[in-house]
Amino acid sequence: MSGDTASGSPAPVQRSRWISTFYLLPVLAAFIPLFANEYIQFMANRMLVYILVTVGFNLVVGNLGQLAFANTAFFGIGAYSTAIMMSHVGLPYWVALIIAAIAGGLAGLLASITALRGIRLYYLAIITLAFGELMRWVYLHADKVTMGSDGLPLPPLDLFGLPITTEVGKFYIFLAITVVVVKATSNLLRSRIGRAIMAIRDNELTTASLGISTAHHIVLAFVWSGVVVGIAGAMFAALVGRVFPESFGLIEVIVHFAMVMVGGTGSLIGSVIGGVTLTALPEYFRQFPGMEELFFGIIIICILLFLPKGIASILAKLSAVFRERYYLD
Amino acid sequence: MLLQLSLSGLTQGALYALIALSLTVLFRATTIVNFGHGDFVLGGAFGVYVLVMLLGLPFVPSAILATVVMFGFGIVISRGLIDPIKAGPHIGFAMMSISLGYVFRGTTRALWGREVFPMPRVFDIEPIFVGHLVITGDTMIITGVVTMLLAACAFVFYQTSIGKLTQAIYQSERGAMLIGINVRRFHDVMWGFALALGAIGGILIAPISLLHPDLGAGFLIRGFAAMTLGGFGSLGGAVVGGVILGLAEQYSGAYLNSALIDITSYLVIIIVLVVRPNGLFGKQVIVRV
Amino acid sequence: MKQRTLLISLFAGLAALAGPVTADETTGLTDSTIKVGVMGPFSGNASSYSKTQIGLMAYFKHINDQGGIHGRKFEIVQEDTACEPAKGIAAAKKLVHQDEVFYLHGNSCSGVAIAVKPTIAPTGAPWIIAHAVNPKISMPVNEKKSIFHGVPAGPAYGTTMGKFVLSKPNTKRIGVIAHTNDWAKSYCSPAIEHMKSQGIEPVMELAMERGQTDSTAQVLKLKEANLDFILGCLYEAETVIFLRDAKKYRLTVPVMGTAGTDLENTLARLGDQEAVNNYFVLHAFVDKVDGPKMKKWNDIILKYYPDETITGFSAVSMASGVAAIEALKAVGPDLTRSKFIAELEKINGLKTGILACDITWTPTDRHGCKKSAVAGFVDGKPTVLSSWENPW
Repeated sequence: MSGDTASGSPAPVQRSRWISTFYLLPVLAAFIPLFANEYIQFMANRMLVYILVTVGFNLVVGNLGQLAFANTAFFGIGAYSTAIMMSHVGLPYWVALIIAAIAGGLAGLLASITALRGIRLYYLAIITLAFGELMRWVYLHADKVTMGSDGLPLPPLDLFGLPITTEVGKFYIFLAITVVVVKATSNLLRSRIGRAIMAIRDNELTTASLGISTAHHIVLAFVWSGVVVGIAGAMFAALVGRVFPESFGLIEVIVHFAMVMVGGTGSLIGSVIGGVTLTALPEYFRQFPGMEELFFGIIIICILLFLPKGIASILAKLSAVFRERYYLD
Repeated sequence: MLLQLSLSGLTQGALYALIALSLTVLFRATTIVNFGHGDFVLGGAFGVYVLVMLLGLPFVPSAILATVVMFGFGIVISRGLIDPIKAGPHIGFAMMSISLGYVFRGTTRALWGREVFPMPRVFDIEPIFVGHLVITGDTMIITGVVTMLLAACAFVFYQTSIGKLTQAIYQSERGAMLIGINVRRFHDVMWGFALALGAIGGILIAPISLLHPDLGAGFLIRGFAAMTLGGFGSLGGAVVGGVILGLAEQYSGAYLNSALIDITSYLVIIIVLVVRPNGLFGKQVIVRV
Repeated sequence: MKQRTLLISLFAGLAALAGPVTADETTGLTDSTIKVGVMGPFSGNASSYSKTQIGLMAYFKHINDQGGIHGRKFEIVQEDTACEPAKGIAAAKKLVHQDEVFYLHGNSCSGVAIAVKPTIAPTGAPWIIAHAVNPKISMPVNEKKSIFHGVPAGPAYGTTMGKFVLSKPNTKRIGVIAHTNDWAKSYCSPAIEHMKSQGIEPVMELAMERGQTDSTAQVLKLKEANLDFILGCLYEAETVIFLRDAKKYRLTVPVMGTAGTDLENTLARLGDQEAVNNYFVLHAFVDKVDGPKMKKWNDIILKYYPDETITGFSAVSMASGVAAIEALKAVGPDLTRSKFIAELEKINGLKTGILACDITWTPTDRHGCKKSAVAGFVDGKPTVLSSWENPW
């Protein structure tokens, strides 16, 4: 479809074409277990976790436009809630998953309070960083519940009585969860609420003057982000089998941020790409132990200099299907 | 014990103050918060190490040289990496500064990864004993150097014409541009200056601590906490915030629980931003439509 | 027509690649090679521990140069765990399922080892823990009986620490300063347990976090408590800072450290003999790090890794390497995983010439090494001790 509107942005693609493209990826992904060994399968599972992490983070950073680094806090809270619910309370995984989502949402609510009080930009970045680190201290010191630095193990997963012990089993569960959550996020972004969130990003005061309640939408964005990343945390806990405090530190923040930027801030397909590529890339760098940080830093600098809108912007140029009106043009 | 703790807190606080000041200088000049600053502090420390241990230069010239080199880096970064992305979203700067820090840290790790490096005792000054109080050479040097530095900065900032220029640009960049001040060069110089200050912090830390690539991370958070406490954007506030933070860490560690030392900075950040977001000396930010 | 052929060959290709790889008795073996997977924290903030893996790999290369074992040479696959569980699991899965190694040897980080145990144990691939101390990695014996511990585990180390501390006459008041991570706990917890079993409880337990550059508060508190001995479960950098501050504030109580530091390097870092005179460390070796008995091993490391600095970590894993070679030789040319495990279980009282303990593995006890020495400065020289003021 061609034809630009007067503002210069490309016209939206036929909905059916978009839907078929959207579902093509998971359908293709479903074939991965046919030719993947346990290691590759593990990596695929890890990518699914980080797709959700990036989607959640991108919502706040890219779509709402707030520099809120609470992501690792949501991630950790989701992971620990799952582990605690499963090992201390004995709940099955799917119930623990829901609780993790709720816990993440509550954490998002908490994080949004500072944003509501007018704390913006760097203040928000720093206080959310501090929040994340504080949570890590809690995981470490509340060791009666979290087992501190020993790590909290998860009991074996089972899906309504069927034990899930292989990576392949986890893959299909994760894939299903990912598709559902990404689709829900997509619906959110395409709705009035989504547009309002992005309007707040573009100009908060003007949006408020239009009668849209900025407070409600900010809270919603944070809460949804918390829910998505909380679910990602639950998946992460199931993936690794043991939850450690160190997994949710400052380095993790940088990784999440990089995924958002490399993929494309504000872009949903970008989140998927960012999550996948930056999970795969460090594995490629295994052959150069110790050089990973250096390569990582250089790659991100290059993206910032030469491809600031992320990989998604390249895709957008190639095909109208990938053009989303999510990011600032 | 209180006096000794206070002395120790003052020393640590002086370091935090230096780092907070360098962060604030940059923030005021460019509205960028340098998330990679901790690693630049590390860069200064490692720079001195390389010069002293591998090239055999004596300490003071190495320190000066390392500082100059970091100043140069600052200018290069401003010109080559910050300027081109000026037009992009603000978070781009945050990411760039983080990545730069990462590159610094990664280079250090790639070159020296598995080892932990000692700096030889640089100044072998005997500690002074005042009753029960121990004042070590390190304390004297660090507080001495930082105080001198701060005094020099204050003098330059408030008394000289360069300082007046800086104040003008801080107050209104557009206004400054309108009257013909080269703001772009100012940004470059300020990056250099901020990095140089940070490097001095690293150089001061190097002899008393071991060098390893992760040295920087802790200092960054403390710098942020100090800035938050003192009020974002306030130069004096950064210094005061740094000192208070240093003292707070020592007191809470000794009187409350040694496990608190690590999270004092986080608690300070959260409490300040919830109770009084402007910190001690910060100004209300007014958003103009 | 073309499309159908394409589709058929595509599915045929997929089918051919399909199916998980089954662990096998001779996985990772060819007539001329034995594939060994070495995992360690080669990057990240624990990277100084990977020196043990370097030592081990040097030893493998040395064996290769001597002709290998029954005509087979080691093919080493080195993987980085960065001391992070997620990365460690990826490394373990890669070694076991993609590289398909014959056996695994290495691991410094206990957290990672525990996290990867569910990946490795079910496959039955033999796994020798060459540095990590958490006892639960290897005991109770796993179902496939494939995991062996080649260094003193936490309890052995911790008990040695506790015994040494109590061997000083009139020791009643003990203080503890430790990191809050599992590494520190694996040393300090068994040490404290031992002391409690002898009726002595620590008077105070303080925390010092990784990355702290100042320990004034802790030192002052310890000084106030009038202690007889201090247990210090700290990493290298923090140990130096603690000792420096202890000297600064004239805290002259003896300090018992872990196996994470060594005397020579601590002294080099402090640059001050007086500050280390009261410092004792666990010393796993039969001799000082640069002593005559260790020279042979240090030379091997330097031959293959000339840029390496020898520290107290470097030769630790080589001992279990010696044990592994013994077992592999004993099996003979017809090598399988089960036979390897059987031979490992037969190792009894093996003097490796590196570690202070003799390695003994049985079908029911996989903690091969139960003894460690202590080292301290006597007359300014690092000396290996068995108890307070008693040489080894």
